[in-house]
Amino acid sequence: MIFIKLLLITILTIVFLLITLSSRFRTYQRLFIIFGYGALAFFILFPSIADKVAEAFGIERGADLVVYIAIAILALLSTVLYAQVKIHERAITKIVRDIAIMKSRKCE
Amino acid sequence: MIPLYNEEKVIRKTLEELRKKRPDDVIIVVDDGSKDNSYFEACIPGIYLLRHIVNLGQGAALQTGIDYAKKLGCKYVVTFDSDGQHCADDIEPFIQTLRKGEADIVLCSRFLGKAENIPTLKKYFLRVAALVERFLTGIKLTDVHNGFRAINVAKFPDFVITQNRMSHASEIIDLIKRLGMRYVEKPCTIRYSDYSLSKGQSMMNSVNIIIEFILGKAIK
Repeated sequence: MIFIKLLLITILTIVFLLITLSSRFRTYQRLFIIFGYGALAFFILFPSIADKVAEAFGIERGADLVVYIAIAILALLSTVLYAQVKIHERAITKIVRDIAIMKSRKCE
Repeated sequence: MIPLYNEEKVIRKTLEELRKKRPDDVIIVVDDGSKDNSYFEACIPGIYLLRHIVNLGQGAALQTGIDYAKKLGCKYVVTFDSDGQHCADDIEPFIQTLRKGEADIVLCSRFLGKAENIPTLKKYFLRVAALVERFLTGIKLTDVHNGFRAINVAKFPDFVITQNRMSHASEIIDLIKRLGMRYVEKPCTIRYSDYSLSKGQSMMNSVNIIIEFILGKAIK
């Protein structure tokens, strides 16, 4: 049990560091992710507290609460990443367009 | 203005016919990173030729063409398909409508004009699609996603297509609404050949177009 907990927390920490350090997130997105990951790690380490918190929210088990939080974080991440892909796509479009116009020619 | 992607077999014929019927017009071809020989096939005398170094999509090619047309000082832009399904004879009434100031954008409707050899299923599908688009944008049109249009680009500097792929067609309808452009539909002839049908949009792809359009609106 301890092993699986350590493994989960290690994976969470690595993903968390990779995401928050390498991407350009807005402050509120960072805060949401930090809070979410913190809560996840805490609930994984202390499942009895997770059970109580879950109960307060009307959820039966602490494990379910962990899953719900994880889904919320993943949903936010994928949305932000999609938006970033779109931003990059627009940058590439501009570059490709400028090159096309610069290299335009009239056929003779 | 013709966006071009992998049409090496027909582009030369399309351009030669267009050149013959519209000798005084500026013809701009934007090759959207074709993988075949289209770019070289499109090089016939008098044509302005541009090339995207990577494939971006038809929407992006159209906007590149519009930007270039403005740079050349063109007031009106007619978008025309490269696969030979549009008719050069239809251009004149479109341009005249813009010149007379009767509209800011003229759209081609297959259902007001002639759609030669259109498969029945496609016909009904297009009608339903037009209804969906009317629901999404509030603009009343009889046809959708047709590459033949005439636009007064000089009057609307904010007419900029940002949707790179096929959802640009819905974006154009959205732009009409947002910029308050006066629009009119005119009949035009679309020649459906086995070739154009095999290369055209699959009907299932329309679902992607709608999703892309809605997501594109959500993420500005």
